[in-house]
Amino acid sequence: MTRWWHRWFRTPAELREMGVVGINMRNARYVLPSNPRKLYDLVDNKVRTKSLAVERGISVPETYGVVTNPGDVRNFERMLEGRESFVIKPTRGSGGKGVLVIAGREDGMYLKPSGAQLSVGDVRNHLQNILAGLHSLGGKRDTALIEYKVAPEKTMTSISFQGAPDIRVVLFHGYPVLAMLRASTRESDGRSNLHQGALGIGVDIRSGKTVHAVHHGRAVKMHPDLKVPLVGVTVPEWERILEIAVQCYEMTGLGYLGVDLMIDENRGPLMIEVNARPGLAIQLANGVGLLKRLEPITERRAKHPGETPAERLLFSKNRFAPIQEG
Amino acid sequence: MSARFKLFAIVAFLVLAGGGLAAYKHIVIGIPLKVGKASTEWLVESKITFAAFGEPVSVRLALPTSEITRDLGIDAQSSGYSFRTEADASGNLSAVWEADSVEGPQALYYRVRFPESGVNSAGPVSVSGDLPKAVDPGLTRNAREAAESVVRRVSEFSSSPDSRFVGIFQEITALESSQEISLLKRAYADEDERRGLISLGVDLLKLAGIPARMAYGVRLEEMRGPQEALLLVEYFDGVHWKIRNPDKPTDELRPDQIFVWNRGGDALFEVNEGAENSSIVFTATRDLIPIERQTDLRESSLLVATILALPASERQVFRFVVLIPIGAFVVVLLRNIVGIATLGTFMPVLLALSLLEMPLQSGLIMFAVIIGAGLWFRFLLSRLNLLVVPRVAACVVIVTLLMMVLSVVSWRLGMRDGLKITLFPMIILAWTIERMSLIWEEEGKRSALLQVGGSLFVAVVAFSVMEMRQIRYWAFYFPELLLVLLGGIILIGRYTGYRLSELMRFKNFETAA
Repeated sequence: MTRWWHRWFRTPAELREMGVVGINMRNARYVLPSNPRKLYDLVDNKVRTKSLAVERGISVPETYGVVTNPGDVRNFERMLEGRESFVIKPTRGSGGKGVLVIAGREDGMYLKPSGAQLSVGDVRNHLQNILAGLHSLGGKRDTALIEYKVAPEKTMTSISFQGAPDIRVVLFHGYPVLAMLRASTRESDGRSNLHQGALGIGVDIRSGKTVHAVHHGRAVKMHPDLKVPLVGVTVPEWERILEIAVQCYEMTGLGYLGVDLMIDENRGPLMIEVNARPGLAIQLANGVGLLKRLEPITERRAKHPGETPAERLLFSKNRFAPIQEG
Repeated sequence: MSARFKLFAIVAFLVLAGGGLAAYKHIVIGIPLKVGKASTEWLVESKITFAAFGEPVSVRLALPTSEITRDLGIDAQSSGYSFRTEADASGNLSAVWEADSVEGPQALYYRVRFPESGVNSAGPVSVSGDLPKAVDPGLTRNAREAAESVVRRVSEFSSSPDSRFVGIFQEITALESSQEISLLKRAYADEDERRGLISLGVDLLKLAGIPARMAYGVRLEEMRGPQEALLLVEYFDGVHWKIRNPDKPTDELRPDQIFVWNRGGDALFEVNEGAENSSIVFTATRDLIPIERQTDLRESSLLVATILALPASERQVFRFVVLIPIGAFVVVLLRNIVGIATLGTFMPVLLALSLLEMPLQSGLIMFAVIIGAGLWFRFLLSRLNLLVVPRVAACVVIVTLLMMVLSVVSWRLGMRDGLKITLFPMIILAWTIERMSLIWEEEGKRSALLQVGGSLFVAVVAFSVMEMRQIRYWAFYFPELLLVLLGGIILIGRYTGYRLSELMRFKNFETAA
């Protein structure tokens, strides 16, 4: 039922009916009560997250080195003996800020995926900025993480304009509730931020098939640049992806979390980072209000406390299967 | 649900406590809840400070003349001192404080109140008995020759004492002073430049046969805060003693702009040898509630009186301080209920505070110019590959220089408001520029402009709320209402509903299949 005002806004009653969760509700009802402050450092510090993940056997991109003090910046190339491509990230960055991807080298210059050239000095300067805390929360001093650059799997690259889509799974008390792919477009320029024009593609928890896609908040069927269908694509190794996501819950203990992954051509799904306050765009990507998924979990936990990871996975798969389209 | 209960209990307590105190003030003491229109009054407070070291101290302060003071509310605060007022033979009043042994830093206050339209403290005063005679100032030979030639020149064009007064002070304040005046200025050079020029003027008047002496006034400007006494000149035109401000020799004093504290030629204040480092400052503030209520309030318990128990000079700062929580509340509303993105959480409040000190329009233009030019410099700096902290520091320097340039330019263009921008929060501006350029690079200019625009919008809304007369009245005279505000903020802190921006963000939301 379309109303005249839908061109401009939805009423709060309509949103509630669809189970949409707003930022205030996410923070007050889910993030604050389920995520104790003291656990934040586990996920805010990527070096810590990765070492924890390795202990538990979760695959992550290999770490080449960590630059901790400005004196090491001059020698950062020593950490990269023989590596053609790599990624530099601020250890405490968030939302992809300050991430520098180097896809290769040419004549002593570094190449970004877009083909832009960077000199050694440019890369050093980027490292200095990271160390000075330019990209970290509250401008605190930071360290820089240099790691393996994922070689994206083919089905993934086929639905993304430059770069590979990443996969986000949101879990509530260890039950997967929603998942999406974020694929870049010409407009988003290799970035996977939805409000910069990237695509959000909802993924069915049970089958790993894409079910819905949005561009700037509107439903779309085709990639705007590549003209390939976005719905009905099967994400490879979906089972493994869900397992990693659930293990991340066990590892961090965060009640409400988002796990970001990428699929490597050779190494399979790799956990990239864990987010203690995942955004709300995943609702748009799936066309499902988070409340419709979070409330059943609350009920389930009241009735069946302390379920094992396998039981939780099974519950989510059965409960959150989409109604089949005719 | 006990957390919920606790929340409501706390909020109820805050609202009851704040509202109760305010109700008590309104009902029992009778302070009006609505800001009055007519009952505003000026309060001029003099504050004498000095250091005492255990010996008998006696302080004398010259007061406004008795005809004036008869109708004014007067109040002298002097714990530990014996206090009396004395009148001399010619009817000039002075206040005297005495104490046998006091030690350490001391402060004595004397306050007068009068209606906002001002009292005519500068009117002509007629003389009873003998007419005053000009006393020869007694100058050195060189100075005397120069002075006499100035007086001769002025007298050629003017005959009456009034026009001679104008002539003499125009000579002194002229941009290009004549040879004689330059010489005299050197002879009268004083630590306080203005005092030197005025004593020169007084002596020239005496030489021209016009009895003259110094007087002291207070500017009725609230924004000024504590001020030094304004030197004025009193002269005898043959019938009356008249007062004028030598800066504007042609104009009569306006009672709504200047209050003459003391005339008659006595020293403004004297402190005996029992004290050191004495000084006097005046504070003019406008009170929005009647005197009697004010006195009742000040004498109530500390809980009720709060900041109104403070002397005017200390209280002045609270005029702005009490507005900060209101700005913070506006930010909370606009961020958590409306959902406007801003650069830095409370940057808009600081911006709003500085807007309060200048006309809105010029404030916004200043902001736009500084941010715009600052961003441009920031892009130039980024080519130099500087580290973060030095880069922001460089930005602070550039922002400071920009403000100086803007001030000078706007002054030249005749916009005097430009001078007040020194209150702009520079460090905050520098960080704003830094963060904006980062967002510009990482999320694109749309996002950067949106956030700066959002901050500006929030600042303007906060400014317009903070500027409302009624709001300022409540914040200042009923500061306990801030507890109610706190209750409101706590409630919003638990608001889990949608933000207005989200109603638009999810406008295309479709339940899939």
